[in-house]
Amino acid sequence: MSISRRNFLKLTGASAIGAGVSGTPLARAARNARVVVIGGGVGGATTAKYLKLYAPEIDVTIVEPKREYRRPYGSSEVITGQATMDDITISYDALKHRHGVKFVHESVNDIDYDAKRVTTDAGTTLGYDRLVLSPGVSFDFDAIEGLTPELAETRLPHGWDATDQLIELERQLHEVPENGTVIVGPPPNPYRCPPGPYERSGLIAQWLLDRGDTSPRVIILDPKNGFTTDYSMLHAWNELYRFNIPEPARSKYSEEELAQLKTWDEPGPIDWVMGDLGGRILSVDAETMTVEAEAGTFQADMINIIPPLKAAKIAFDQDLVDESGWCPVDQKTFESTRHADVHVIGDSCIAGAMPKSGYAANSQAKVLAIQLRALLAGNPPVEPVFQNTCYALAGNTESGMFVADVFRLEDGTIVRVDEQRYLPFEATKLQKKLAAVYQHNWMQAFSDDCFA
Amino acid sequence: MSARTHPISRFGAGLAAACWLAALPVQAESTNAAVSEKGLMAAQTCAGCHGTQGYIEHSAYVPLAGMPRERFINAMRSFADGSRPSTLMGPLARAFTEDEIAAMADYFSSLPKEQAGATNAQGGDDS
Repeated sequence: MSISRRNFLKLTGASAIGAGVSGTPLARAARNARVVVIGGGVGGATTAKYLKLYAPEIDVTIVEPKREYRRPYGSSEVITGQATMDDITISYDALKHRHGVKFVHESVNDIDYDAKRVTTDAGTTLGYDRLVLSPGVSFDFDAIEGLTPELAETRLPHGWDATDQLIELERQLHEVPENGTVIVGPPPNPYRCPPGPYERSGLIAQWLLDRGDTSPRVIILDPKNGFTTDYSMLHAWNELYRFNIPEPARSKYSEEELAQLKTWDEPGPIDWVMGDLGGRILSVDAETMTVEAEAGTFQADMINIIPPLKAAKIAFDQDLVDESGWCPVDQKTFESTRHADVHVIGDSCIAGAMPKSGYAANSQAKVLAIQLRALLAGNPPVEPVFQNTCYALAGNTESGMFVADVFRLEDGTIVRVDEQRYLPFEATKLQKKLAAVYQHNWMQAFSDDCFA
Repeated sequence: MSARTHPISRFGAGLAAACWLAALPVQAESTNAAVSEKGLMAAQTCAGCHGTQGYIEHSAYVPLAGMPRERFINAMRSFADGSRPSTLMGPLARAFTEDEIAAMADYFSSLPKEQAGATNAQGGDDS
């Protein structure tokens, strides 16, 4: 249903009065526009904060059931003890008290797109002029036989959304017997935090070695043949962990680089069974602790499979996803192509070449804040530019790496425009160490940009 | 759009840096609303590491708020041509257009070095 701008403003004014904002003159309705943000993660928090920075007069409400945020970025360090759950917990106080963002700590029950109204499970009703969803991801447990949401809370945690599953993974790691075997199962594309499963594998290998294990095993069973930062990560493992780069992956390097890579007669802990080598997981058995992959059966003491990902449940419930399982949007304004005046950002949306990362959600949120200010003032949207930076550790916390990309809109699709995106092959120890220093500083700097 | 999107990495970096500096407008036009939008848009890409509006304390990242325009542009130029060593600023500096770099420089140089108002009032606990 389409509503003319004039009628739309009347409705806005009328429902504002209905909601108890008494005496709001109709003429001021456009200036006192209301934006409701569903989801208090990186995308939602950044949208709200930057909207208040750019246009303080806009009324911004975040609907988020949780009272504080736990950041998934950097959270694998909880498993290996470099970080605690407290370290990854972030308060909403600055958004509430410094930036004037309103919070409703309830779950969304329904969105009425015609009436432009969100209703929560507690019965709270929020009218909006523009609605933003940054709802994150959900997990497709059905894709792997033997994997269930219940097992994820006990024997087979994925630990991919910063819940207490991380603590369970930490406990399980401590119980791995000496020179035991850990299986890590990265998801297929697209998924949240592309370098993450590999960083986690490296951290676990390093932890086992630091414990004194002489021949532990970390087997990565992967449906894919590559991943973001693979060029840097595999190289670092080759140097740090006596890792042999699988034959099909050697094409990632030039002849000159290959000549510098080592071949180890007695390989170290990490084994990357890439897609072409049968790494795709078919089933898992929590009783026998075995994993069936295309390459055969693997036995382990600890199994950390990250199920395939899809858009958050609310996006499915509220008719925002297409057949891909993700949310199609106009990539200039992030307005849903399925429902007007509704914008979807972050992991749930389809954003061209942009990855599903915290930095990408943060960058999209800041672009969206600029676009919403323009749209709510009746102006055309602005030509966007986006950035993504992901830092990762090889395992050894003094060896860092990154991907750094700039994105622009070309013919309606977000495309990557940079050429070099990783540390060069010949990067010095100092550069790798600096990347690790920046990685740790980034956790605070980035969290502050989103939440403080 | 395509006329202004010329990532300099498409050219030899040194040559590109020279062309690009020569093409930078001499005068900032930050009072113009359109330029201001452009500045906001370009500068937001920095904030995920360098702090909201370029304000950051106690960090390995350099604060950008209040940085003189020429210093910002020179830094980006030397990252782009590799004369200033970096981890990831080289690739990023090469990927932004001359217009975007100018817009960022205008934006950050227009801000006071010290953060005024709400954030200061918090006693700087947000490092």
